[in-house]
Amino acid sequence: MKTNKWTTLLPVIAAFSGVLNMLQAAEHAPVGYTDTPMLPGGKWHVHDPDRPQPSVVTPAPAGQPGKPPADAVVLFGGTDLSQWRAQKGGPAPWNVEDGVIVCKPKSGDIFTKEEFGDIQLHLEFATPNPPHGDSQERGNSGVFLFGRYELQVLDSYHNRTYADGSCASIYGQSPPLVNASRPPGEWQTYDVVFIAPRFKEGKLASPAYITVFHNGVLVQNHTEILGDTGHRILAKYRPHGPKGPLKLQDHGNTTRYRNIWVRPLNTSAE
Amino acid sequence: MNSHAFTRWRKAAAFAGLASLATVLITAAAEKSGDKEPPVIDPGPPPADALVLFDGKDLSKWQNGKGGDAKWKLPGDGSMEVNGTGSIMTKEEFGDVQLHVEWATPGEVKGEGQGRGNSGVYLQGRYEIQVLDSYNNKTYFNGQAGAFYEHNAPLVNASRKPGEWQTYDIIFHPPRTGADGKAIPGSFTVLHNGVLIQDHIPVNGDATRAANFQGITPKGPLVLQDHGNPVRYRNIWLRKL
Repeated sequence: MKTNKWTTLLPVIAAFSGVLNMLQAAEHAPVGYTDTPMLPGGKWHVHDPDRPQPSVVTPAPAGQPGKPPADAVVLFGGTDLSQWRAQKGGPAPWNVEDGVIVCKPKSGDIFTKEEFGDIQLHLEFATPNPPHGDSQERGNSGVFLFGRYELQVLDSYHNRTYADGSCASIYGQSPPLVNASRPPGEWQTYDVVFIAPRFKEGKLASPAYITVFHNGVLVQNHTEILGDTGHRILAKYRPHGPKGPLKLQDHGNTTRYRNIWVRPLNTSAE
Repeated sequence: MNSHAFTRWRKAAAFAGLASLATVLITAAAEKSGDKEPPVIDPGPPPADALVLFDGKDLSKWQNGKGGDAKWKLPGDGSMEVNGTGSIMTKEEFGDVQLHVEWATPGEVKGEGQGRGNSGVYLQGRYEIQVLDSYNNKTYFNGQAGAFYEHNAPLVNASRKPGEWQTYDIIFHPPRTGADGKAIPGSFTVLHNGVLIQDHIPVNGDATRAANFQGITPKGPLVLQDHGNPVRYRNIWLRKL
């Protein structure tokens, strides 16, 4: 029987491309972990790859930034980082370009000089365009309330990662109700109500609660925060005072921020 | 940029220059008369998964209190206006929702206290978030704009001026009846013009005074109140939670 030499070669080519695919996959950032602790409820690991992906909801197109309410503390209005500091004090090491904050990779996180308790927070962010990397490597940053409770900032537009690490998740704890992400490069909004945890005599008296609208869509609905957020660990509260700084995370990507303001709520503990 | 594009750009630039000059002149004239033009707020389209209850075209999602056609006025500016024909309610009924509503009290100020620009947004036809002209208009605190009427005053008064469009963004969970027959409270969170005014407050099941419906229910209609003042509404949508 006469065989075409190309037919003979086909399985070889297929096998080779399979190996290539595997190699390529190995270069991709992981989309989850199963060797991590179980979250309360006993259903999902921290960063579980099988936890259902938030369903995609296309939000309204980005609009012009609104003005902060009259009683807001403006943390960034478009000119400078005077309200911010480096982790160990000193000037905040990020850049201001064209009226927006640009994260300077490897320069470190930035913190507000002022500290806050219960707040309403508004901020806008844009992940880098064109996007680079996959999963947690793409447009990663974060908004840390009290410098320790992270509301994730990530490019989650057609970018699979573990549900509890996607954009607008409480990192490692609670995926957003839906994925309301805009494409990379577009401005996105967070409107947050954060109620700080209370501690009495070194013990947790009441946990923190967070409500978040992402691009106007409800994504965290009075969600109980389980403790300090972290990578591959089970959250745990470490007692602290009634106020703390707001932190923006340097995760090595040139994420941009603008129009950041807070309204301290008069429910704050003393 | 090709030459056509350049011509277009030049025309646009010239137009923009003229327009901004006109704006400066108009603004100057308006400020001289002590009367600033209300800022135009882009209502913005709803998210893709929202159920649009009113987009300015018709009242097809609404009915009157007796199940007949809703007869509020459609002035043609994308709004609907209270006109004395009675409160209107959605044909569909809802439980847990994220609700967006825009409203404007009459630009011509009449009356005072509860008599000025009064209307209301009733979740499930039972639990009212008050609509009122609360711009320099005193009334009892749990009856001002943004109050959970007669239950809870707003945290702050974030009212815009009469005639200007204002927004409510509401997260509502209805109360439920527990296995023991007792009410399990629901909750209201409300942003008024983007400012938090109700922060996860309990809804224990007592319907607001003047509510069309009573009693705890899993689902009920959204009701907009006719309180005799020509309040306008626009851009109403919700997302079932």
